[in-house]
Amino acid sequence: MADQHGPPVRGGPPEGWEAPRERWLSTVVRPAFGPRSVLLEVVARLLIPSILTFAVFLLVTGHDRPGGGFAAGLVAGMAYVLRYVAGGRQELAAGLPTRPQGLLAIGLLATAGTATAPLLWGDPILRTFSYTADLPVFGKVKFASYLLFELGVVFIVVGLVLAVVAALGARMEAEEEEARALSALRRRRRAPSGGAVEPRTDPGRPTTEGRNETP
Amino acid sequence: MNLLLAVPFVIPLLGAGITLLLRRSPRSKQIAGVVTLAAVVVDAVWLLWLTADGTVIASDAGGWAAPLGITLVADPLAALLLTVSSVVLLLVLLYAIGQDIGGLSSATPQTFHPLYLVLTAGVCLSFLAGDLFNLFVAFEVMLTASYALITQAPTRARVRATMIYTVVGLTSSILFLTGIALVYALVGTVNMADIAIKLDGAPDDLRMVLALLFLVVFGIKAAIVPLHFWLPDSYPVAITRISAIFAALLTKVAVYAIIRTQTLLFGGDDVSAVMLWIAIATMIVGILGALVQDDINRIMSFALVSHIGFMIFGLALNTVAGIAGVMVYLVHHIVVQATMFLVNGLVRQYVGHTSLRSIRGLTAVSPALALFFFLPAVSLAGIPPMSGFIAKVALFQAGVEAGGWLTWVGIGAGLLTSLLTIIAIFRVWTRAFWGTPLPDMLTARAELKRGPDAAGLRMMTVTTGVMVGVGVLVAVLGGPLVDLSFTAAHDLLDGGAYIEAVLPGGGS
Repeated sequence: MADQHGPPVRGGPPEGWEAPRERWLSTVVRPAFGPRSVLLEVVARLLIPSILTFAVFLLVTGHDRPGGGFAAGLVAGMAYVLRYVAGGRQELAAGLPTRPQGLLAIGLLATAGTATAPLLWGDPILRTFSYTADLPVFGKVKFASYLLFELGVVFIVVGLVLAVVAALGARMEAEEEEARALSALRRRRRAPSGGAVEPRTDPGRPTTEGRNETP
Repeated sequence: MNLLLAVPFVIPLLGAGITLLLRRSPRSKQIAGVVTLAAVVVDAVWLLWLTADGTVIASDAGGWAAPLGITLVADPLAALLLTVSSVVLLLVLLYAIGQDIGGLSSATPQTFHPLYLVLTAGVCLSFLAGDLFNLFVAFEVMLTASYALITQAPTRARVRATMIYTVVGLTSSILFLTGIALVYALVGTVNMADIAIKLDGAPDDLRMVLALLFLVVFGIKAAIVPLHFWLPDSYPVAITRISAIFAALLTKVAVYAIIRTQTLLFGGDDVSAVMLWIAIATMIVGILGALVQDDINRIMSFALVSHIGFMIFGLALNTVAGIAGVMVYLVHHIVVQATMFLVNGLVRQYVGHTSLRSIRGLTAVSPALALFFFLPAVSLAGIPPMSGFIAKVALFQAGVEAGGWLTWVGIGAGLLTSLLTIIAIFRVWTRAFWGTPLPDMLTARAELKRGPDAAGLRMMTVTTGVMVGVGVLVAVLGGPLVDLSFTAAHDLLDGGAYIEAVLPGGGS
């Protein structure tokens, strides 16, 4: 993957010395708001798995200790925000299993579903059932139907965080890219020869052609 | 029991999830929304049937007994408001669907249906919540959905209105949370029945401070007078369906919260005098505002503020008759206010705006529209056969029974407000409905009638007609309604049945 970085991307601001030369995240598209930073990418790459693991820890520990679905959802959401900050909206989209609304829907259905299920056999809403099992390595482990509810909460919170990021950051980024593309187009039309364009043109043209390019 | 109490807010949440999943097909979203709300209506009517004789039904979520767990409670007041609200919510949704079918709408259907159902869940849970914190959660669910709904089809004016609305809403939420913390610090519980028992032993001045704090919290949401400034700036700007549902329900949910907290928790007499002054100020200031406006929506928003004053007046009396009057008024006002805003939406459909300056002769443009405006308008003004008359008479009678010079001032202010309401209403009537229509209004009507929007417009008109019919029905059922209100008011002031249902055996 040595040539992943490729030649300097046509147009756009010059990459600084801190631009990554190796591939740390899943996309190499430069976000509209500026060059990528190798420091941020490495940190994101290193931290995201631990953040997500910590979120899972918060989720399962939340039954009778501090934590729970809401905290877990916020922490997991932060992992995605970090990914977005490091790599822009393409990177965020690459990491998402579904759109934020889909996550919200799954979360709502899971929470409301687990909350209502006990009603079917006449118990009050939100009734929890638990089952304690003896597992070989872990020892006594308690499974509670409450965990499903909390998982739904995680989905709702992550969905909301992502919806906010998508509506504020990513949308603005897309609009910015569009505006730059337009102005670039206009400048090209104004160029006398019509065909060849000066290499120094249009700062920050969308650099989508930078994706996985080979010379 | 458990099922009945859970359905009004769990089913809308499930529905919201389902409508979020149905991304591609607007028709299935609409069907999901209508089915959900119809289920809520059936459930609410059932609850009303069970509680009509004064029974209080309670259910502890998760099986955790009352002072500790989340309690859901339905008493006659809650069931009655739940029924009226769900009917109005269903009708406004049908109106919105009509608008969407006709392509007359500027809302984004992607987000409208889920948000609307979440709002429904919040409203229903507010009525059923048995503890203060759950009430707070319900308010937040409702308000968060409303922050997003008010920016549907964003324009510069709408975004500006949302800023005001959100900041005011968050302020009241913070105060609410502070109040809950203070109550918890004082008595160590957030369950309302439990607080009612334990607050009896609290020092009088502390009780009064708490009562005032909660009055301010819900007063902001209910738009009582020194705290009303945000409402006429934000409600009229939103799209029709949203302003209709906000005007009809959100302020009334806050009035419900005032009734619940002041009667059950604080016994009401601590802040009676303050509330009477507030009521008088609210009635007069609101209606004076309505008299000088030029936009029908703004007139209705100021009238809404002014008529909140009537409800505060009845509550301030702190008698059975007074609170019964408030309940009748609530039912009447929810229906009438929603109808007025739906009619304004139809006017906007015909004319393109609701400014009185350039509307003439709507009667000639659409006779049905004129009828739909006239009936709720005279009801709002309190002219005899309509529901507004029944409600106002109930309140004034209660005032006469209670006596006291301030109460008489209140009655005077109420009569004056009714008269001024008539003036405001007839100013709209003479300027917008009489006269010869402007030529472009007739061409606009012809285009609407022939165009592809005709089916949608018909559905909107029919829904508005049904809503007018519901308003008339409130008047026809006036007798049973007043009886029910007296039963409920008696229980509310007594509090015994509520506490006994939540904490069997009188608590710990």
